[in-house]
Amino acid sequence: MALSRSKRRRIVLVGGALALALVLGLVGWVVYLDRLVTREFKGRLWSVPARVYAEPLELYAGAPVSADELEEELRRLHYRPGDPATGPGLYRRRGAEFDLHARRVRFVDELREPERLTVRVAGEAVQSLRHPDGSELPLFRLDPLLVGSVFPVHGEDRIVLAPGDVTPLLRAAIKVIEDRRFDEHHGVDPKSILRALWANLRAGRVTQGGSTLTQQLVKNYFLSDEQTLGRKLTEAVMALRLEARFTKEEILVAYLNEVYLGQDGERAVHGFGLAAEYYFAKPLDELDVAELALLVGIVKGPSHYDPRLHADRARARRNLVLDELAGAKLIDAASAARAKAEPLGLRPPGGGYVPAYMDLVRRHLKRDYAEADLEAAGLSVYTTLDPRAQAAAERALARGLRRLDAQSRVKDAHLEGAVVIAEPNTGEVVAVAGGREVGADGFNRALDARRPIGSLVKPAIYLAALESGHYTAASLLDDSPVELKLGDGSLWAPQNFTHELYGPVPMARALAESMNLATVHLGLELGLPKVIDTLRELGVENPPAPNPSLLLGAFGLTPVEVTSLYAALANGGFRARLRAVRAVLDEHGTALRRFKVEVEAAAPPAAVYQLDRMLELVATRGTGRGASARLPAGTVLAAKTGTSSDTRDSWFAGFTGSYLGVVWVGYDDNRPTGLTGAAGALPIWADAIGSLRPASFEPAIPEQVEDRWIEFATGLETRPGCSPDAVAVALPRGAELPARAGCTPSPPGSITDKIRSWFRTGAP
Amino acid sequence: MSRPLSPRTALSPAALSALALLAGGCSLPGPYERPPPPPAAVPGVPSAESAPPPGSPAAGAAAESPPPPPAVREHHLSDATRSLVTQARAAAERGDLPAASTTLDRALRLEPTNPLVWIEMGRLRLAENDAHQAEGCGRKALALASGDRRAQSQAGRVLADALRAQQRNQEAREVESQPYMN
Repeated sequence: MALSRSKRRRIVLVGGALALALVLGLVGWVVYLDRLVTREFKGRLWSVPARVYAEPLELYAGAPVSADELEEELRRLHYRPGDPATGPGLYRRRGAEFDLHARRVRFVDELREPERLTVRVAGEAVQSLRHPDGSELPLFRLDPLLVGSVFPVHGEDRIVLAPGDVTPLLRAAIKVIEDRRFDEHHGVDPKSILRALWANLRAGRVTQGGSTLTQQLVKNYFLSDEQTLGRKLTEAVMALRLEARFTKEEILVAYLNEVYLGQDGERAVHGFGLAAEYYFAKPLDELDVAELALLVGIVKGPSHYDPRLHADRARARRNLVLDELAGAKLIDAASAARAKAEPLGLRPPGGGYVPAYMDLVRRHLKRDYAEADLEAAGLSVYTTLDPRAQAAAERALARGLRRLDAQSRVKDAHLEGAVVIAEPNTGEVVAVAGGREVGADGFNRALDARRPIGSLVKPAIYLAALESGHYTAASLLDDSPVELKLGDGSLWAPQNFTHELYGPVPMARALAESMNLATVHLGLELGLPKVIDTLRELGVENPPAPNPSLLLGAFGLTPVEVTSLYAALANGGFRARLRAVRAVLDEHGTALRRFKVEVEAAAPPAAVYQLDRMLELVATRGTGRGASARLPAGTVLAAKTGTSSDTRDSWFAGFTGSYLGVVWVGYDDNRPTGLTGAAGALPIWADAIGSLRPASFEPAIPEQVEDRWIEFATGLETRPGCSPDAVAVALPRGAELPARAGCTPSPPGSITDKIRSWFRTGAP
Repeated sequence: MSRPLSPRTALSPAALSALALLAGGCSLPGPYERPPPPPAAVPGVPSAESAPPPGSPAAGAAAESPPPPPAVREHHLSDATRSLVTQARAAAERGDLPAASTTLDRALRLEPTNPLVWIEMGRLRLAENDAHQAEGCGRKALALASGDRRAQSQAGRVLADALRAQQRNQEAREVESQPYMN
């Protein structure tokens, strides 16, 4: 039956309109996808992250650097052995002498042109620096180590590769393994799709992807693992549009920066630059063939081939990649065989990968800079990070927690911990470790674990006492029972850790042995508001409520906050604001806003000096005496242990002349550890600080005080050798003390020197 | 080789004009020159006698144990630090105070407990019209300079200038009247 003409016309019209609508819709959809993917691509392409640098190593006569350490540092900075005459970036070592051709470097205060010099090292220190013409240089700094990149506004950290950073082998290898026809196709590769389809049909399941690099890139942008047809179609259209708009080179580099390569706790590891740091602690261009092959192999399934969790699988995958590379003549058979025999070579803790420190950098950037300023492209952030101290902190923490876990009866949980190290005089933070594994779970305990500080609060109480002028190190405190009715009607009856009573004890001993009852009596006598004032004075921003339990540290601070509190004690009573960011430069080298060392008087230097001498006794006679033995002989330190109730938290805070360190150890779920501050945190502190060649703590003596000898047990004045337990303390000049009968106080002289030498020889 | 810095060369016009304001003063104790504890109020120390005020060494001397004199020392800059201080002064003289500041930061990293570096830093803060920070640097330098008359007097001068720049003339005069200022 024939349709009428008009009817036919209507069908054609409707059909045409429908087809037109379909086409228009399709075009609109494509345009929409094009816009979406282009915006994303451009956004990523042009958002150059800020590069973050560590403090450069300063070389000068006397700088504490051995020849091996200097070479290690040069390697870390990618200097290569070779003839320095042929160009920058090369060095030649002859024994303890280095000929070096330094690169052009931008520092905060200057742009230095390439320069040649000879560094001579003698033993543990630099001896001299000379130009090739023989003239001496007073000092020279090496390049600052790049420790990461950060998008200061959204906080992701990446190591973004520029096209020039991509090695030829990586370029070729990624194509061979993931997308052989990358250079020919237009974003989608029908041939490989068909091949994959065929392979999947034969296998009866999905074994091959057939996605091009471009499709994978798109997928990474929009983060979906959905395998629906619609999704695939969208992906394909976007891939085609990207290829139409950008060059193969741009797409390849974007892919290498974007591809997902593993999971670092909460943080996804994107891009080959960061992955090289994450897995091997090396810059990409220093990876050997085996390491590069592992990364290329992981692309296929970062969790399936996770080299830390599934080493065998990862090794098999790496060796398969090596075979393919040899098959494609990218490497020769011999080097493939050699590479296959190598271990996976995953990084030990330490190196250029410092997520915990980067957290602090991000927070200080947010704290101290305008957000709009940080959006500019190509910023450089210069930090106060000391890579050697950072490595020491991470190593000591990992090692110490492993040992404590092994000794512990708890088998269903791991101890955790945190370490913060700062320079005491300037408040510059040089190292942060936020957990036993570097960045393992994204929880940074150094910044975010707010835990009761226990006896770490005591120095603030004793400082308040000394400041009042009514107490000295020899003043007798009453270590007797305390029972207090609290506001809520409950009874507060604290005890000494030893459950013993010591009766009248000199203040120096009560602090050294961390006696709770003597301290509570002292604190109550001074009054809680006075103690809270002192805490505030020392930089505690949110001091505790006036409950008597604050006298035993029943309030929480983070390790970074404790560092800030002790900084004023380590710094002669001056409060230096903690800082991790020295300066931020824009792409032209102009400072956004320069930090100044900020220093403010917080407590009277004379009182702080008297307190610090008592804290030295903690380390020689008291609860912290285990620390001295682990430092280089003769290193004077001042310290305090802290243990919260039921040993849930183990703390140690201590300072030498060059480092202030704070260590916390505990369980994340807050269960008791069975560890005092001395048993848990102290050895970790001593391990970290001890390996850094710390300078002795030798504060200048304020003129209002003098060093005197007293008996540790009684507080009576004495002289060394006369009483078995003579200790040196600082007292207000001319203060009169009752003396031990028959022990005439020692005659004047350079008493300080004597005291120091006495401690050094380790007498009583 | 190492010798204390001459106080003049690093001074910017601002700091010099601050220096020009110096004047003699009275003899009240500075903020941290507190007298030692009064005897009756020292609970833990039986039979403590009235301690003498500071600055009168003979008064405190019990017959058998005169207090030792404060350790005398003289601070110097290392060659490396001195080269940085020289560089910072040059930057300050051509008016580039930010560069001077960064260079002194670097010097401070090399010798954080040398009062001479803190004195330089204090002078620079004065030149930057940051009297508050200059005061902090001056006090820090003064504390570190204990026992070194020359460094003390330079630190005291920075501190006094910083106080005066904050209109705290009384406190400035107290600093200027300290024995080490002569």
